[in-house]
Amino acid sequence: MFMSVELMLNSVNFLLVGYSSFLKSLDGQIFALMIMAVAAAEVVVGLAIILTIFRTRHDMDVDHIDVLKG
Amino acid sequence: MFEFDLLELTRETITLAVGLTAVLASLGVILCSSPVYCALYLIGNMICLALLFLLYNAEFVAAVQIIVYAGAVMILFLFIIALLGGKKEIQESPAQRSIVFALIITMLGELYLAATVGPTKPLEGVFDSKTVAEVGGSAKAIGLELFSRHLIPFELVSGLLLVAAVGVICLAKFSYVPLRRRVK
Repeated sequence: MFMSVELMLNSVNFLLVGYSSFLKSLDGQIFALMIMAVAAAEVVVGLAIILTIFRTRHDMDVDHIDVLKG
Repeated sequence: MFEFDLLELTRETITLAVGLTAVLASLGVILCSSPVYCALYLIGNMICLALLFLLYNAEFVAAVQIIVYAGAVMILFLFIIALLGGKKEIQESPAQRSIVFALIITMLGELYLAATVGPTKPLEGVFDSKTVAEVGGSAKAIGLELFSRHLIPFELVSGLLLVAAVGVICLAKFSYVPLRRRVK
């Protein structure tokens, strides 16, 4: 599930770079770099949250995680 | 006469092949049930995307894609999978009909848009491949743009990364007190 987010961000990056090449502008590539930075931060925080959930609950199923309390 | 540009044809063929591989790899990410295989497919997808960036004359973004995604992020993914023990998921898809429905609606909307929106004239920038080569390569051109016109977002990104790093340290280091089980 978490990798699919990466997949979507990647596809948007590809779209931006493609249009940047098509429109002869560099703004798309710069935007893609920003997206990469945001995606890296998001991955790090998300994996830390997953790790914390696993350490407190010993369960990874998304359907079972329904309370914010540990 | 039949014009035949071998270089252009080769380029198109390579683009098509790499794009097809990227699509297949992303399908593998979605459909594979073991997380380790998912991560490996994702690495393949990212490398294909980096090749496509190279074909679009975006060398700097391709290098960043390889280093950041295929290097750092995927190592993190594999590390977490190894730490948590990648168990196979049971694939259950109860919402098959709604997926097909959504796909049909999306296709219809796409067709409607393609039929109604006429050809638009793009706003052309100044950075074609010749200008970029004159400046001194893709990395230098991006650096010039990034530090002149897009300086504030760049600095904000550094702040975001700092906040993310501090937040991860707080999450991973301080928060583990064995919490009481919820009484059912």
